[in-house]
Amino acid sequence: MILFPAIDLKNGQCVRLEQGDMARATVFNLDPAAQAKSFAAQGFEYLHVVDLDGAFAGKPVNAQAVEAMLKAITMPVQLGGGIRDLATVEAWLAKGVTRVIIGTAAVRDPELVKSAAKKYPGRVAVGLDARNGKVAVEGWAETSQVTALEIAQRFEDAGVAAIIFTDIARDGLLKGLNLDATIALADAISIPVIASGGLASIEDVKAMLTPRAKKLAGAIAGRALYDGRLDPAAALALIRNARAAA
Amino acid sequence: MSVAIIDYGSGNLHSAAKAFERAARSQENPQKVMVTRDPEAVYRADRIVLPGVGAFADCRRGLDAVNGMLEALTEAVRVKARPFFGICVGMQLMATRGKEHVTTDGFDWVKGDVEKITPRDENLKIPHMGWNTLEVLREHPVLERLDLGPKGRHAYFVHSYHLNAADETNVLARADYGGPVTAVVGKDTAIGTQFHPEKSQRFGLALISNFLKWKP
Repeated sequence: MILFPAIDLKNGQCVRLEQGDMARATVFNLDPAAQAKSFAAQGFEYLHVVDLDGAFAGKPVNAQAVEAMLKAITMPVQLGGGIRDLATVEAWLAKGVTRVIIGTAAVRDPELVKSAAKKYPGRVAVGLDARNGKVAVEGWAETSQVTALEIAQRFEDAGVAAIIFTDIARDGLLKGLNLDATIALADAISIPVIASGGLASIEDVKAMLTPRAKKLAGAIAGRALYDGRLDPAAALALIRNARAAA
Repeated sequence: MSVAIIDYGSGNLHSAAKAFERAARSQENPQKVMVTRDPEAVYRADRIVLPGVGAFADCRRGLDAVNGMLEALTEAVRVKARPFFGICVGMQLMATRGKEHVTTDGFDWVKGDVEKITPRDENLKIPHMGWNTLEVLREHPVLERLDLGPKGRHAYFVHSYHLNAADETNVLARADYGGPVTAVVGKDTAIGTQFHPEKSQRFGLALISNFLKWKP
């Protein structure tokens, strides 16, 4: 499994939200590039970045901050937020983003994901954000009656690198990952699934390494890394040991 | 596979249904075409058609009067990504706002306002009624192999307003009537025509056939 440290960008700063609510943002670092460097120095291997303003605007907003991060580190970066057309996908991949995450557009314009994944195999991920199992779009401001599984099934065999499944109800609240729902999704599709939302402590990392979570490709850690509840060295050591034992 | 044509008391249903049934019959896997005012049927349909004649505000009111229809339609198209075809005012409703006499909210799927057409030539009458060729601005599966362009097939228009899209990439084709008139819009899994494909003979049927085959 890969543990992805998360950097969420709002107004050029590195923030954490609670339940995706832009009004409940805590600034953790004024300099996202410095934060990215610090994650790299801690030994993380893949960075997860979200342009929050971009998710609401429907186009990249914090591009400058993202580019500064790409320059500051060599670790691969996956980026989401406001990526809704092929031109934006291509621009980010050309600038050095390893993998783009398509969220709202994957719901409304499945063809975009399919054509992007066909053109750039392994470099397109789909972000599915759910509230009580139902998909939410537009920076989480709107919830539907459609299940995440129904949307995920659209992309079977399309060459999508991963589905990043976020439980909005837990995100930023440190209540633990919603592993049951995430594993149920991973069991129903063949695309690798990454768990997101609520990762609170080393217990979540241990749970990710148990046999029942074997199908999960990784997990995203946000607030727990910033407020010190999760010790990165301990978490990464656990993952290394599990890999060595496998 | 089913195609739901939404019945919300806004005319031209009969000719639209006939055209879709005819186009559906000629498909390899015929799809069931139904005219319905049941939101549940619209929500479950594989494709959705929204016709519309008359004034923007009247059509919007008619749609709002069918309990749950707008929610079912929005969810089916914007979340379930079902292909959608808006015809005439059904297409105009895809806009942010209609400005026919009064300002009325549209679905806001295609950013822009529905505004009165203003032909440069004063001899050109409003409403614009008649046959026009189409200029394709952007390729789209629904517009494939239709023999369009200045010497191509003609589409039948009857309207005084058109969708002035804020983002030009959402305009797939336009006609000329003393200036550019938005003829076809497309965004995500939704398309709309200002003209009436159901009254545009073989070209109209070919366009509808393309829509029935489209797998976005």
